[in-house]
Amino acid sequence: MHISEGVLSGPVLASGAVLALAGTAIGLKKIDYDHIVHVSILASAFFVASLIHVNIGPSSVHLILNGIVGLLLGFAAIPAILTALLLQSVLFQYGGLTALGVNVVVMAFPAVLVHYLFRPLLGKSPTLTFVGGFLAGMVSIMLSSLLLGLALWFTDKNFFETSLTIIIAHIPVMIIEGIVTGFCVSFLLKVYPEIIPVKK
Amino acid sequence: MKIKRILMLALIFALIPANHAFAHKVIVFAWVEQGYIHTESSFGSKSKAKDCPIIVVDENGRVIHKGRTDSKGNYSFKIPEKVESDLIVNLDAGIGHKAQWRIPKQELIKEHTTEDLKVAMKEKNALEKGPSAFQIIGGIAIIFLLAFGATVLKKRKKS
Repeated sequence: MHISEGVLSGPVLASGAVLALAGTAIGLKKIDYDHIVHVSILASAFFVASLIHVNIGPSSVHLILNGIVGLLLGFAAIPAILTALLLQSVLFQYGGLTALGVNVVVMAFPAVLVHYLFRPLLGKSPTLTFVGGFLAGMVSIMLSSLLLGLALWFTDKNFFETSLTIIIAHIPVMIIEGIVTGFCVSFLLKVYPEIIPVKK
Repeated sequence: MKIKRILMLALIFALIPANHAFAHKVIVFAWVEQGYIHTESSFGSKSKAKDCPIIVVDENGRVIHKGRTDSKGNYSFKIPEKVESDLIVNLDAGIGHKAQWRIPKQELIKEHTTEDLKVAMKEKNALEKGPSAFQIIGGIAIIFLLAFGATVLKKRKKS
């Protein structure tokens, strides 16, 4: 899911950087500084998740966990994911530094969207909480795959084929992340409900 | 109730695939040996970049050679004749994953000893090595430090 150096053109990289900066600015304003430890824990989980990878065909996909980060943090997921991606790029050489903005857009923007789509399901009932988590985990990867396809479209010129390849490659990750996110939110709601303030 | 919670936690960890490896940086490594250029492409030591296009260009971007990696991520070819510049080996591992390796011009004409090969292999292994525990823990520590710094700044602004 991490775009390497030298893949995208200048305008695409610049657009990604501008969008990522704007998102980060909003995210920093929306962070609940009294619970910043939650942001740190989730950013750390995202940072480490990419080390767990699954080989699919000629390529290799890895866990991303942007769904659970977005579901629990909302807009604050953008600076959290930006920090984790920056560290992954510098320390692990995952993704190019110049592509950081685009990588943030690809992974963090869907995370914010799933927060607004599926957060209302959490806490309604155990089943709905699991379903909300599952859908957040799955849909965030699907949307990230589409955004990745869109970013690569400007160089590959074949949006549907590229996107389809990416989505197919990430189907196992969608299922795994859906299940992991579903179980995690169900578990957290039971043992540490403060992390998911449920609107009654 | 407690057992149920522990079981749930165990299930979460059980769902995480067992073959986790420290991989996902895209690497192409090339070296010269007995008139051939050998390339090895991977996402780290345990995951090879299989059946991926390799395009070799000169410094001016002129395509010198094209090929594909095999099931082990390897591809070898004879040193092209009349090459006047460094060669750049480009790997396209699909969906935004690209890497390149530059072979200096003098490497193409030099006679390589066993010692040279050993040095090259050492370099390759260092490249393929995954992140160390120090890097992982260090990264997490940086995240928490940044969060702490942001909180302090925010509190100072308020006061």
